[in-house]
Amino acid sequence: MKILIIEDEKTLSDAIVEYLDGEGHLCEVVYNFEEAIEKIELYEYDCMVVDINLPGGSGLDLIRLVKKKSIAVGIIIVSARNSLDNRIEGLEIGADHYLTKPFHLAELNAHLKSIHRRISFNGNNELVLNEIKLIPDEHRAFVLDQELVLTKKEYELLLFFISNKNKVITKAGLAEHLWGDHMDAADSYDFIYTHIKNLRRELLKKGCKDYIKTIYGLGYKFDLT
Amino acid sequence: MSISLFIYLFGVIAFYYSLRLQVDGNVNNEMEKRKMSIIRQMEEAHSSVSQPPGRNEMVLVRPVEKGRTADRFADTLIYNKEEQRYQLFRQLGFTETVNHQSFQVQIFKSLEETDSLIVSIIMTMTVLVILLILTLLIVNRYSSRMVWGAFYETIEKINRYDVNSHEDFALQDSDVKEFSDLNRVLHAMTERLKNDYLNLKEYTENASHEIQTPLAIINSKLELLLQSGEMSEKQYKALADAYEASIRLSKYNSTLILLAKIENKQFPESKVVSPEAILKGLLESLDDLIRSKKIEVVKKFVPDITVMMNPYLAEMLIVNLVKNAVRHNVKGGKLLVEVGENFFRISNSGSEISVDENLLFKRFYKSTSSPESLGLGLAIVQKICALYGFEVNYQFRDQLHSMTVTFKNGVGTALNSEIS
Repeated sequence: MKILIIEDEKTLSDAIVEYLDGEGHLCEVVYNFEEAIEKIELYEYDCMVVDINLPGGSGLDLIRLVKKKSIAVGIIIVSARNSLDNRIEGLEIGADHYLTKPFHLAELNAHLKSIHRRISFNGNNELVLNEIKLIPDEHRAFVLDQELVLTKKEYELLLFFISNKNKVITKAGLAEHLWGDHMDAADSYDFIYTHIKNLRRELLKKGCKDYIKTIYGLGYKFDLT
Repeated sequence: MSISLFIYLFGVIAFYYSLRLQVDGNVNNEMEKRKMSIIRQMEEAHSSVSQPPGRNEMVLVRPVEKGRTADRFADTLIYNKEEQRYQLFRQLGFTETVNHQSFQVQIFKSLEETDSLIVSIIMTMTVLVILLILTLLIVNRYSSRMVWGAFYETIEKINRYDVNSHEDFALQDSDVKEFSDLNRVLHAMTERLKNDYLNLKEYTENASHEIQTPLAIINSKLELLLQSGEMSEKQYKALADAYEASIRLSKYNSTLILLAKIENKQFPESKVVSPEAILKGLLESLDDLIRSKKIEVVKKFVPDITVMMNPYLAEMLIVNLVKNAVRHNVKGGKLLVEVGENFFRISNSGSEISVDENLLFKRFYKSTSSPESLGLGLAIVQKICALYGFEVNYQFRDQLHSMTVTFKNGVGTALNSEIS
């Protein structure tokens, strides 16, 4: 997948590129509005990660421009402004997701993956990973062709793990992805553990290898190596 | 007033006596002259002479044994048979010796006329002065209403001045130079205050916005670092702590930005919102958390209750109250959610804590039990309630902590026009 990252903060865009490294994407990075326009007019991208406040202009204008060229392009806005208006406007003009800085890289990656699935298979896809098979559109998962009995949250958890395979995922990132912004009401992430435990038990029951590793109380890793 | 009256009274008395003194002096002089003429006549006649009484005057002459005595002036009252009353006379007594015979002479001069003159002068004066004082009072009251009106209005304006308000601090012009000077200086001062305040506010807001990006960098770099592998548990632990801290920092920051936005009234548009719908959606998304704490949720909804307010703020208001109620709940506790005719109430189980209700809504006030909380939730609740004129109250009853938000009907609409 060809991804254009438009983010004026060089260190941040570097971090994004580094995280996406090894996922088989082709990432290009620009740091201001003019460069972005140039790239958008010259090349075609499958996906765009765009900051709204850019030197030289607004990321929203870039989205309008790229949307005119291609319908299928996936767009993720990353903005420091957690303004409802910005969010609504961004989504209205065709952005797929709106992430507020600071965001979890795992979260961004999961969104990119879902865009990737949409684009590559026109939504009609299967996600196969060793003995695990997911049909995201139907929210179903299989291990060695036996269907897993999962709750909605457990399924989402599995999908998030697979999207960020071989990566350490923090509990905070996990909680935010699955339960949204309100999880700061929790005084501990204990409730996540219940879901992980159930998911792991179900996977093992169907003959799956134990891929879910706990990393020192910090988070988890779906380790395929 | 009382001082001027006192001065006036004193003045009248002094005036009376000074007039009296003047008149007495005159009368004395006249009587001296009369005395000289009587002496002359007596010397010419070599005996006592009966004097024909002059106008307002009587002269008594009678022989006495003794020799001469000194002249003596005095006031005296004499009974007037015709008018049957006492009249005031001035009297001069002296002795004169003619042909070795001493005579005592007494001259009486009526003071009736001069006295009535003095009285009428004083009366006229009094009337004049009273008239003068009255006019002064009336003019004074009228002019002070004119002149001080602007002053009192200025005071009232200063009293109501709020550096946070967006109204212009306009002062009424005054004809009095001192007051227009005062107004000018006050106006300049409030402008300066406001500018300083706005600068400071803008600075903090900008700072908050600018902080988000470096925080994003810190977070993403830490997350990258986590992926590098081959780390000891100790290193992981340190990384995890740093990661948690930076997430918390960014949450603080975005909450502070939200507070500033509420203060700046940056959520103008109001819609009809249903607290019930918000609560139901919220409870659903918090379901896992609520179940993990084994909290029993009790809902009591009066159907079809709506409020006119900004939908985002409505959600923020409810979210913060419910989050609080979940966070401070005890394992196996109760979460009571009520929507009534003009209020909604979120209650949660918990042991009694001695809290000052005023402190509760302060920023960064925390109960010790929950170090994870930001301490800003109730500050947001209070700000939103203040914006819409809602009342928010805390209560502890039957082992339940309750937060009640009372909204008056139609408040939302009224507010809408105020903001726009």
